[in-house]
Amino acid sequence: MPDLQPGINNGQPVIIVGAGHSGVAVAAGLRTRGWVGGILLLDGEKETPYERPPLSKELLKSGAPDESTVLRKEKFYQDKRIERLAGITAEAIDRQSRTVVLSDGSRRGYDRLVVATGSRARPLTVPGSGLPGVHALRTREDALDLKRALVAGTRVAIIGAGYIGLEVAAAAAARGCKVTVLELQDRVMSRVTSEPVSRFFEQLHEQNGIRFVFGAAVTAIEGQRRAERVVTADGTVHPADVVLAGIGVLPNQEVATEAGLECRDGILVDGEGRTSDSAIYATGDVTRFASPVDGTSQRLECIQNAQAQADRVAAHITGQQPAEPEIPWFWTVQHGVRLQTAGVRHPDDDVIVRGTPAVGKFAVIYLRDGRLAAVDTVAGLADFRPAKKLIAAGALIDPALAADPRIPLTDTIPNDPSLTDADLVSARI
Amino acid sequence: MSNNKLTVVDREGKSRDLEWEPDQTLMEALRDNDLPVLASCGGTASCATCHVFLADEVFDTLGERSEDEIELLVEAEGYRECGSRLSCQLDFTKDLDGVTVTLAPEE
Repeated sequence: MPDLQPGINNGQPVIIVGAGHSGVAVAAGLRTRGWVGGILLLDGEKETPYERPPLSKELLKSGAPDESTVLRKEKFYQDKRIERLAGITAEAIDRQSRTVVLSDGSRRGYDRLVVATGSRARPLTVPGSGLPGVHALRTREDALDLKRALVAGTRVAIIGAGYIGLEVAAAAAARGCKVTVLELQDRVMSRVTSEPVSRFFEQLHEQNGIRFVFGAAVTAIEGQRRAERVVTADGTVHPADVVLAGIGVLPNQEVATEAGLECRDGILVDGEGRTSDSAIYATGDVTRFASPVDGTSQRLECIQNAQAQADRVAAHITGQQPAEPEIPWFWTVQHGVRLQTAGVRHPDDDVIVRGTPAVGKFAVIYLRDGRLAAVDTVAGLADFRPAKKLIAAGALIDPALAADPRIPLTDTIPNDPSLTDADLVSARI
Repeated sequence: MSNNKLTVVDREGKSRDLEWEPDQTLMEALRDNDLPVLASCGGTASCATCHVFLADEVFDTLGERSEDEIELLVEAEGYRECGSRLSCQLDFTKDLDGVTVTLAPEE
């Protein structure tokens, strides 16, 4: 095998395994950056690659069309000479000969391989998990199945009060279902946000008729031919016609593991998206990498990461400089109220509430060693962009000033003459 | 419906003409023609990485901006009270045939 030089095409295509947000972004990014060689995009799904965030939001609304929002128009792939193989996955990677074995039995050689296989919904493992009526939500097909099941009057039990569970709870309630959310922790979205935000959203859901059961460990799903009830560890029985599990995701790393690439709950990649094989990259939900903020090993399941890693890989393959990545950010919409987060909060960060949750619009900022680490904005985006810049700059924040929502976030940097490093100055915009 | 003509002034000040197809938002027309528009939220007025400037007289003919769009734009680099839009919020309309769009600075 010839040595790989950045920007040099040895005649074989770049093969991208997976056509979710990240895989498509790699393909598009390669063309934007001038890659003239072949691009082969293996898409395990049949239809034109689509946006996933709307699947648990807009798509589930009453009267919303079943069509999904495509990432790029079908014509884009032809125009950009991106060969998309629909319904085809990678069965195996032969690293020695730089060949991928496809699910149709054919083999294709690659110059560089990008594994962008994403993640799948973590399956329930309790007895009865396989009964009809038990749903997960990851693909458009899942979303349409669920939508058909959410008929007015249906009793819906949702297992897990994370983004997916709560978005579906809101959609189901709006469609006239009777919704119960079963959550093991003592509040909603406990992994991703602080108590004030959790409490606000709990109230919002309760006002819309949704019932929460906290500390609920599901032990079984029971029913004759289909799901009829969910049983929790304390013996409580929750009648349900439809069950949705929203209990996280698992990385689709099997093809990489079997090829001997280093994986540990995710394919391990460096800052350029390279795996332990220099001809193979990985991007998006399937990867695990060291946080540029504090070096901790993480998987980041978000569009921002899917896109930023894709750009880094496209840049590395073409021998160019990547764009400065955005700060990780996330959003969810529940009952029409948007929660948008920038940065990754730690449970022991200092929590400062800006505004009054009772009025329905506020923000919460998270300080780590006095520096802005993350922000949650609820029903308003005024603090979102300033916070992204301040997080990127590692800006110190005066907690007393920041507690006053009338003071713009950029004016909450303490007036301390010793704080004159370039980062702080640039953060003052 | 026929395509619109669109002139884009990029961040280096270079002009380029392109076709804006009826089923595209302005953001999609820019992005799908390889202009450096990140559009990381996929067109949901969440990220403001598709910020553009339009001439006053064009801006005035457009619909009102949503509260989210305004809040994001106000904090954006180079914000213009009259002229700044998120291109993902602008659907194709024949009224915008021949329009000139300037990409806002990157943050």
